[in-house]
Parts: sequence; C-alpha cells; structure tokens
Amino acid sequence: MKRKYANEEVDAVIVGAGAAGGVLAKELSEAGLSVVVLDAGPLRDPQKDFASDELSMKSLGWQDTRIVDGTDPLTMGHNNSGRGVGGGTVHFTAVFLRFQDVDFQGKTIDGIGEDWPISYEDLEPYYTRTEKDIAVSGPKHFPWGHYNGPYPYPEREPLSPNAYMFMNGCDKLGIRSSVAPLAILSAPFEGRPPCINRGFCNQGCMPDSKFSTLIVHIPKAIKAGAEVLPDCMVTQVLMGKDGLAKGVTFVHNGKPYEQKAKMVIISAFVVETPRLLLNSANEQFPDGLANSSGMVGKSIMVHSSNDVYAKFDDEIRLYKGTPVLATTLDFYRTDPKRDFVRGYTLHSHGARPVEFANGVSKAQGGPIWGERFRQALLDYNHYGRVTLVGEVMPNMNNRVTLADEKDEYGLPRAKVTFSYGENDRKLIKHAERTMSSILEAEGGKVEFVVPDTAHMAGGCRMGNNPADSVVNSYGQSHDIPNLYVCDASIFVTSGAGNPTNTVMSLALRTAEYIVEKMKKRELQTSRG
Amino acid sequence: MSGITRYPSFNVLDEKDAWDDHTQQIVTSRNQSIDKYQFLSEREAEILRSICSLLVDDSSPDALAFVISHIDKTLYSSPGEGQRKVGVPAASELIRQGLKAMEQSSQHMYSISFAELETVKQKNMLKDISEVKAEPSAIWNRVPQKALFEKLMRLTVESYCSHPQVWSDIGYAGPAYPRGYVRTQLGQLDPWEAKTENEA
Ligand SMILES: Cc1cc2nc3c(=O)[nH]c(=O)nc-3n(C[C@H](O)[C@H](O)[C@H](O)COP(=O)(O)OP(=O)(O)OC[C@H]3O[C@@H](n4cnc5c(N)ncnc54)[C@H](O)[C@@H]3O)c2cc1C
Ligand code: SF4
Repeated sequence: MKRKYANEEVDAVIVGAGAAGGVLAKELSEAGLSVVVLDAGPLRDPQKDFASDELSMKSLGWQDTRIVDGTDPLTMGHNNSGRGVGGGTVHFTAVFLRFQDVDFQGKTIDGIGEDWPISYEDLEPYYTRTEKDIAVSGPKHFPWGHYNGPYPYPEREPLSPNAYMFMNGCDKLGIRSSVAPLAILSAPFEGRPPCINRGFCNQGCMPDSKFSTLIVHIPKAIKAGAEVLPDCMVTQVLMGKDGLAKGVTFVHNGKPYEQKAKMVIISAFVVETPRLLLNSANEQFPDGLANSSGMVGKSIMVHSSNDVYAKFDDEIRLYKGTPVLATTLDFYRTDPKRDFVRGYTLHSHGARPVEFANGVSKAQGGPIWGERFRQALLDYNHYGRVTLVGEVMPNMNNRVTLADEKDEYGLPRAKVTFSYGENDRKLIKHAERTMSSILEAEGGKVEFVVPDTAHMAGGCRMGNNPADSVVNSYGQSHDIPNLYVCDASIFVTSGAGNPTNTVMSLALRTAEYIVEKMKKRELQTSRG
Repeated sequence: MSGITRYPSFNVLDEKDAWDDHTQQIVTSRNQSIDKYQFLSEREAEILRSICSLLVDDSSPDALAFVISHIDKTLYSSPGEGQRKVGVPAASELIRQGLKAMEQSSQHMYSISFAELETVKQKNMLKDISEVKAEPSAIWNRVPQKALFEKLMRLTVESYCSHPQVWSDIGYAGPAYPRGYVRTQLGQLDPWEAKTENEA
C-alpha cells in the first residue's frame, strides 16, 4: 500500500470518512493540519460503481453482521449504516433539517428526557455554514423551527406524484406541509448538475446532484493535502503509557498497519465508534477507552420510522422522483393534549420495488406472502406512502456491547440491543393515525402499516459531567484529552427530525475548536 | 400465479439502451441462467424453488432461477447479513437446517419429498413455519422458525423484485440515468413508462 505518512506522526488521524469524518478532514486539512483519514470501505466512483438498482447497491450499507437483541431488534446494514468513503451520506435520502430548541433542551422545556450541553443558538452559525457549503435547496419560507429560510438554493420543482398526493392530503386536513429542505441541488453548483428526479438517492446519486462527503468534502480535503485511505479497517486505538492516544492500528487487505498521530478522532458512527473504544481496552483502560463513566455504547437511539402504504384508485407510481420531496413538522413539539411527549416529522416517501415489497412482507398482521403479496406487488403503481421520523427517548438499556462471536478481523462483533419505551410506542400509534388520515384524505385506502426504524444516534454522548457522559460538546473525550469522538454517537437525544445537518454542523464546530487548540499549542500529545 | 398484470405489453428491457452501462450490465445479467450452484445441493435448490414460488405466488421459471442463484450466491459468500438476532445461526446454517427440517417433516408426515408434495400441503407447512407452529417438535425444536421464514422471505423478495420480468409485470419503469423522470405531476407519464391496459 502506498502511504504518505507511513513512518510519520500526523497531526490528526480520522477514523471513518462519513458525514462527520468528511467535514473534519476538509476543515482540518484546509487549516494546514496533516491529516490521514481511514475508512473501512471502498472509495467509489459514482459513474462506474453506482447503479440504478436496489439489490446491487445494498453494498453501500455496512453489511458485516451485527448481533441484534431486545424487544425491537434493529434492522442494520443499508437501513441505517453506510460503509465506504462518504459513509451514510452516499446512500442517505438527503432530507436536511435543523434541530429545534426542544431537541437540545428537552428536559428543561418538557421536564423529560435529557439536555444537551449546548443549545440551538450554539449550533446556529454552523447550521448556516453547512447549508451554504453544500447549497441546500429549500423553500423561501419554511414554516417550522427557528430558521424559516430562505435556503441557499430554491426549492425543488417539480416534485413527485407521491409528494403532490401528500401535500394535497395535508391541505385538506389543515396540516401545514412544505417542500423539504434537501442536500440535493435545484440548480448547478460547483460544477455539479441539478437533480433529474431519477429516484435512486438510496442507491447513490450517479449525476452527483445529491451531496455526499464522498463527492464534496473528501475531494477538497485531498486537494488540501489530506491522505484518504479506503479499505482500511481500524482495529484499535494505540495508547501511550501516559494515558494519551498515539495513533491507530488498521488492517488493509489482511495486513496490519499503524498510523501515528498527535490526535485521534473517531467518526465511525453509532455502532462502530463504541465498538472500537471497547475493543481498544488495555491494562490502563480495562473497560475500554474514554469509558470511566461506563457510558460508552449506552443510550443509543434510532428514529421510529413506520411506514403507511395506502392504495389509490389512480396511479401514484412511487418510483418517480427523489424519494422525499415534501414534509410536515406540524407534530414536532410536545402537545399537552397528547398522551406522550415530544413529537415527529412526516415525509412523503417514494419506494422502489424491493423496498416496497420488503415493507409489505413485514407489515403489521403479517407476514404477508403468497397471493396477498403478489396482489400488492401487481398494485405497486397504485400505492402511496407516508413515512415517520419519530423521536425515540434515550434509554440506558439500549446499547452497543461486544458479542462473543468474532468477525473477519478477529474482533468481537457488535451486539446492538434495542427496545422501544412506552412514550415511543404511543408516539408511533399517534403518527400512524396521522399518516393514515393524510392518505385517506386523498382517497387512499390504508393497506399496510410497516414497523421500521431509521437513523441512529448516541452511544458516546456529550455532556459537561464526566461521570455521565463520554465527551464534551466538542467531542473531546473527558478521559483522554487527545482522543475525540465526532459523529452521530455524541448525540444526547435523537431529535424529532433527520439528523445529518446536526452531525455535520457539530463536526464544523469540533474542527474549529481543534484548529484553535492547535494554534494556541494547547494540544496535549503522547510522549510514548 | 394469481392476479394479472395491468401492463401486458410493457417490457422494461426495451428501454435498456437508455440506461447507463453499469446498470444495463447488472440488470440484463439476471436473465442468464446458471448451471452450477456453489452452496446449494440440487435437492436443496429444488425444495427452495417450490418454497420461493409459493412465497411470491409466481412460478415464472426465469425469475425463480434468478432467485435461487441469488440465494446460492449469498449463502456461499456474503459480506455479511447486516444483522442477525441473538441465538440465530448464520444464514447458511439456518437455511440448510430449515430445508432439512422441511424435507424431514414432509417425509415424516407424507412419506414424500417436500418438492413433490401437493401445493396445498407445501403452503400449509410454510404457514405453520411463519406462525412458529411447524411439527413435529423432534424435527423443529432446534430450528428458529420465525427467523427461518423471515430469512427465506427476505432473500426471495429482494431478488424476485430485482428481476426485469417482475419490473415489467408491475409497470416499474426503473432505471432512469441519465435521462431522469421529467413528467412527475400526478397522472403524468414520461413517454417510455408503462401504460395501463387492464384495470384490475
Ligand atoms: C438509508 C438512509 C437514509 C438516510 N436518510 C437521511 C436523511 O434523509 N436525512 C438525514 O439527515 N440523515 C439521513 N440518514 C442518516 C445519515 O446517513 C447519518 O446521520 C450520517 O451518515 C451519520 O454520520 P456519521 O459521520 O455519524 O457516520 P457515517 O456517515 O455513517 O460514517 C461512518 C464511517 O465510518 C466508517 N467506519 C466505521 N468503522 C470503521 C473502522 N473501524 N475503521 C475505519 N472506518 C470505519 C464507515 O465505513 C463509514 O464510512 C440516512 C441514513 C440511511 C442509512
Ligand atoms: S433523485 Fe436526484 S439526487 Fe436522488 S439520486 Fe436521483 S438525481 Fe440524484
């Protein structure tokens, strides 16, 4: 393997080139730091490696087996984790929302859940920058939250048939709806063309209209001097006797390597970040790194993401257009009239045949197979769908631990345990009724309600108190000052909307903090 | 096969030249039959064919051939299952054990192979497995039935619904790079999309 810094200590080694890792790589290298980014998966060329095909593009997901447990065991892989340069952004749906004050201060505002150590105001300037950096498209006026537009780029137009159905249904019920803010171009930007509505965002965008860190941040990082090494699975964080991080070990094509660094940043997402910290346990840190609080791996969250499919007399054709183009956040915040706290976002959500059929087969009251399955498939073009992004409350019992079984690198597999709580279930019930009523308002007959989850967060949560959190709000671990965690795992709560704008804005904030520390020479580094 | 297509004259492959090369190559290869399995025995493949056909209620040989070859390939060498419930054996073992148990149950109850069993009886056994009620327990007590059914269904569905013939049947116009979809208002169609010929 050709390497730039094989025997050198770089300023920063970043584990994982996903949403957060991509942003960090760009920011740190543009600020003059020497940076190596390692990603377990490949570096893909959208033109050659992507295809308009669901089955073959399952490979964009983290397919390696995780052991799942709990009363609501999660579907992993393509459903919630990416693998390869770009991470989850390569196949994400690109709905690009900001969190709201309640997402950070839920406990203070609603008296339940947890507070983050930062508020909306702390993150606001970074949201603005993230959105501008990737030319988020969205409406002139967005009716919810603390930022009401205008977005850097005009909203998408035209939409998809399913989005029009959804917006019409909302109108009839007096529910406000809007074209979704999307990390998808509505006009040319930095040499990339606007979206052509082909609908395969979850299979990788071939024309480069959808943002991913693979095509936006990583090339800029490389231009600024960063070294990006794909197909390199990091297996351990190397520690000095002084209790500081020294670098990482990784495996490429079956062979072990080392990369020394002044600072280690882990951006490997909600399952692999805790797994790596736990797998890096040593004599000095027998319970895993940065784990004096015992919180590494704990309190992981997802979004409830149940789908409601209704059949219409006329065709909808769920395959046409960007999967999510319309949304409502009218149910986002706590409403004392409901029997649960917090809330949810609803999206009109397209589906190609595999996703549709998989969903139908595991619908409530199922499994659906045989004749009923076949009939649903033949009626595919007559189905419309609405999808939930529901807040899930943090719960210590939902966690990532190490399983006994080993993977191809000889490392214990991750075990992911998840069960919904009572509030979560009530929220889902409420959302299913709302989704059904929107579809019914447009003449749809609800046929399938599919339990599902999306996104992940938590497992290395941030906080001011080292006794109950893993990192501070900049992702710096409380226990090991030159070990950072920066990805969705540092979330304290899941929020009631899509997370990636927040992941990337947090990464911008962390990058700024690190650069500041470097300038002031405040960075502690290991002496061996 | 129950139900009829609304789009009898639509063939999604008629448009393949409008697709990018990579997609074309992937999709058209699904029509090529393979003659040798790497994981499945002939017997297992035969049983699987009956099962998969019942799961999707379709006996079209081309689509089923692709389903079986997909399952064979996945069980032979797969980058992983994404997730596996605690206590459930790896997919290859789960399916192998499951097929064996189905064959044994069939022999035990009817003294013939599952593949030769009447469709109704095959269906009933599948139904029992889906409801975790398959008998006799001496044969089934080590096989996690729910996990088996779900795995069979998932492997079948993801490949079946990726076969161009199925795309044609359901009127899925599919791949659209580089041209994209242009007419996307409710009720609008791009000229190359399937048009309804039969109202169901
Ligand atoms: C199908 C789908 C749809 C989504 N839709 C949306 C949406 O519409 N809007 C939204 O806001 N969010 C969406 N998301 C969520 C979004 O993808 C994640 O929030 C985001 O990618 C998380 O960023 P991250 O930096 O934490 O991790 P990731 O982007 O997942 O990056 C982690 C990276 O680390 C690498 N890695 C892991 N372990 C190791 C190791 N040991 N060594 C080396 N590398 C390693 C992985 O290969 C990966 O590239 C979606 C996700 C999926 C899967
Ligand atoms: S719908 Fe648009 S953004 Fe999504 S993959 Fe297609 S061209 Fe790219």
